[in-house]
Amino acid sequence: MRVGVFICHCGSNIAGTVDVAKVAEEARKMPGVAYATDYMYTCSEPGQKEITDAIERDKLDRVVVAACSPRMHENTFRRTIMKAGLNRYFFEQANIREHVSWIGLDKELNTTKAIEEVRMAVAKVMKNKPLFSSSFKINKRVLVIGGGVAGMQAAIDCADGGLEVVMVEKSPSIGGMMARLDKTFPTVDCSICILGPKMVDVAQHDLIKLHAYSEIAEIKGYVGNYQVKIRKKPTYVDWTKCTGCGLCMEKCPTKNAYDHFNFGAAPTRAINIPFPQAIPKKATIDPNYCRQFVKGKCGVCAKVCPTGAINYEMQDEFITEEVGAIITATGYGLMDVEKLTEYGGGRYPDVISGIQYERFLNASGPTSGHIIRPSDHEEPKTIVFVSCAGSRDKSCGVPYCSNFCCMYIAKQAILTKDHIPDSQSYVFYMDIRSPGKGYDEFTRRAQEEYGAKYIRGRVSRIYPKGKKMVVKGADTLLGTQVEIEADLVVLATAVVSAPDAGQMAEKLHISYDTFGFYVESHPKLRPVETNTSGVYLAGCCQGPKDIPASVGQGSAAAAKVLSLFSKDMLESDPAIAQVNTNNCVGCLKCLKTCPFQAIVEDTLRSGKKVAKVIETVCAGCGVCTSTCPCGAIQLQHFTDNQLLAEVNAICQK
Amino acid sequence: MSTQKLKEIIKQVLPDVETVICWQEGFDKLNVTPIFITSPEQVDQVVWNPLCAQNLAGYLPSQKKKVAVAVKGCDSRTIVQYMQEGLIDRDNVVIIGIPCKGIVSKKKVQKAIGNEPVEDVTFTDGSIKVKTPSGEKTLSLADVCPTKCTSCQFPTPIVYDQLTADAIKSDKPAESVYADVVELEGKTLEERKAYFASQFDKCIRCYACRNACPMCVCQDSCIAETRDPHWITQKNSLDEKVMFHMIHALHLAGRCVECGECERVCPMEIPVAKLKKKINKEMKDLFDYTPGVNPEDKPPMYTFNVDEAKIKEHKL
Repeated sequence: MRVGVFICHCGSNIAGTVDVAKVAEEARKMPGVAYATDYMYTCSEPGQKEITDAIERDKLDRVVVAACSPRMHENTFRRTIMKAGLNRYFFEQANIREHVSWIGLDKELNTTKAIEEVRMAVAKVMKNKPLFSSSFKINKRVLVIGGGVAGMQAAIDCADGGLEVVMVEKSPSIGGMMARLDKTFPTVDCSICILGPKMVDVAQHDLIKLHAYSEIAEIKGYVGNYQVKIRKKPTYVDWTKCTGCGLCMEKCPTKNAYDHFNFGAAPTRAINIPFPQAIPKKATIDPNYCRQFVKGKCGVCAKVCPTGAINYEMQDEFITEEVGAIITATGYGLMDVEKLTEYGGGRYPDVISGIQYERFLNASGPTSGHIIRPSDHEEPKTIVFVSCAGSRDKSCGVPYCSNFCCMYIAKQAILTKDHIPDSQSYVFYMDIRSPGKGYDEFTRRAQEEYGAKYIRGRVSRIYPKGKKMVVKGADTLLGTQVEIEADLVVLATAVVSAPDAGQMAEKLHISYDTFGFYVESHPKLRPVETNTSGVYLAGCCQGPKDIPASVGQGSAAAAKVLSLFSKDMLESDPAIAQVNTNNCVGCLKCLKTCPFQAIVEDTLRSGKKVAKVIETVCAGCGVCTSTCPCGAIQLQHFTDNQLLAEVNAICQK
Repeated sequence: MSTQKLKEIIKQVLPDVETVICWQEGFDKLNVTPIFITSPEQVDQVVWNPLCAQNLAGYLPSQKKKVAVAVKGCDSRTIVQYMQEGLIDRDNVVIIGIPCKGIVSKKKVQKAIGNEPVEDVTFTDGSIKVKTPSGEKTLSLADVCPTKCTSCQFPTPIVYDQLTADAIKSDKPAESVYADVVELEGKTLEERKAYFASQFDKCIRCYACRNACPMCVCQDSCIAETRDPHWITQKNSLDEKVMFHMIHALHLAGRCVECGECERVCPMEIPVAKLKKKINKEMKDLFDYTPGVNPEDKPPMYTFNVDEAKIKEHKL
């Protein structure tokens, strides 16, 4: 065996704290190493040529590059050695940058560690086996989970690109959070006026199939071939008959149902259509409030419905869709105001959340666009906005910035002045975060043209005093305490992950952070991909972002799917589990632990029961290999013997 | 009395099954070996006494047809675990349960009689009388029982189709099961290391413990003897011996039914089960799971749950 070792300086990234020449010198002494050298930038074109030349000249059959993380350049070097005629799995990358040079300052210790990393990689590469991909067909349909603006944009772009799209939306209508907004910053144009056409595009597009009021029950399969089980929740209204006339809503005797669309800003009927522009514009019964379900009798809606669409017996319906890629646009949630006890959230009716205020501003909202105090329905004159209500607050478990509150508070302050010219808005803020195009000008306009008073400081307490709410806080610019007697307090509640984000991530086999936001493959260079191939992210499920960013990400995810589907066949990753049927004892514990259901029972011709891996389903996670008691199932490219060779290399000098 | 009942039951079930697995007298009165009964004539050879130590349930996974097996309370846990792991089909097994008041350790008896040849063995209530060329010796059963009997929680089989006598309730406190582990935990790391080193150093790698273990599923594919994967070498060093015992212990994590077969067969008298008991105790604390007590349970190490119901994630 003739191993070539190439130590990269990575400019001064590695060479600054590692004696690369010494690492190369030590590598030359390692068993199996035929050639070792160091180079300024191994990933550069001349650096790669150095490798291909050495393979030719020194008849190398294995290559080790000690450089950055394999996440960066493993594919680069695999392609390099492939060009020189080697199997791409005859390559190992020792990470002496992220694991060595960047984390230690002691050059001597770093050099020793770099040598050990190289020793391990050399030991491993000598045990490597040539592996070959097989190719498989892909199903060029795409699933979009979530019908908010990001999901809609992704669906429209995919469909315009000629792909069949299946959209699943959990609520009765698409539109998401944007459909609830009154106006959008910084142009103050009507939200539904610009979103409406997109919603109609989704509804009218021949290639988009919409499943509203549905949830993902189960996802099986792998990139190119997913089987998605969708649960269509019972609406108790036959949507093929419902015309959206709204008569049922008018006559429904239950007037205290929780309005999910209005975030509880006002009650609604037990049967309702969430908003006038809803798509599909169909009624849904909330069985938690409907008298027919709660008390067992009523049936008013069934009597008044002109098309006889009401069906109280409706059950869950499951359908299966086959797709090749998934765009996740499941959106976000908002922190419950009740969690903000010091602000009296949930205790005082006149302390409301920003989204509730948005609904009061909205012409199709519960007050038809009139701003009222929830307690006595009077018009408030003094309104206090509290930004960072929960955000950037470790004690609330939200250390991050919610991204768009600064902007929507400025917008709401402007709109308040428009609605009630003799009103006065106050904004308590920590910093004004307005880095977008035209954003800073917008927040200044709120202050300079609309007279909103911005107070830099946090609010310590909010309590009632007669009909007023007293807001106590600090003005850190003046260095004083301030107290404002407000008619209405609006809390810019923190953006949190969608309530079922974790379960959804587990169904999708993608990772999520401690806050429930989905983790992108690389924070800078792969912002819409996940580490599960075929699953992409769009919008706030990945982290708080405003409308333009969500739309941009929706389009980006669509572009990724379109490029994935530009091929007819996909190559499988050969680094998957493989069963040695000679050793397999058929205990099938692997089958039980496999998170991907990639293992099935098989019977050999001899009658012996063994485990069998479905190659295309296996994700190469390795759970089975650590479960198998006899080592009969091995993850290719990471076999026990390959890993033991690495362990032995550092343990036995 | 229950021997007679046992024989009756065997005669009764024999027509329905391929084989009945039970015990018979061995080469002398102190030894009992398994008998595989296929015809009614063999039934008279059946014995039941405190020498019937072997866990016969271990034969079940290799049986292709319907069989009956005689089990003590402790042995029945093996069957329960097999059911949990899907290693046997319950419909293909007739379980003859024997309520048991404790067995004897042959090794302890042999030690007590100075390893003399045995001419006869008789049992009276609570004691064993052994006749040797140099005379008779009466030993209390309590003095010669294996450790597992001193903390037995399941004198009556957990699963059975027929019982040879009335069910007995355990009179041993539940805490006594892991008393030896708790004692070991009280020692310092160095003391424990020295203890295990001195014990495992005696190991001759005969693999009797592994071969006798009813929960070892790998059989001839044991990674202690393969080169691919090559986890341990054949070198006769303490490291390799410890590694072998570690592998066996980890393969039994949350599965060891504490039947004690490994210790019973060990020719070097190594407390082989101790590590496994320690892991069982951890499994109990973490997952509230005891192997081989409820056929409906799922072994925690053989399921894949992102959120384990019984452990608080990340707060171990």
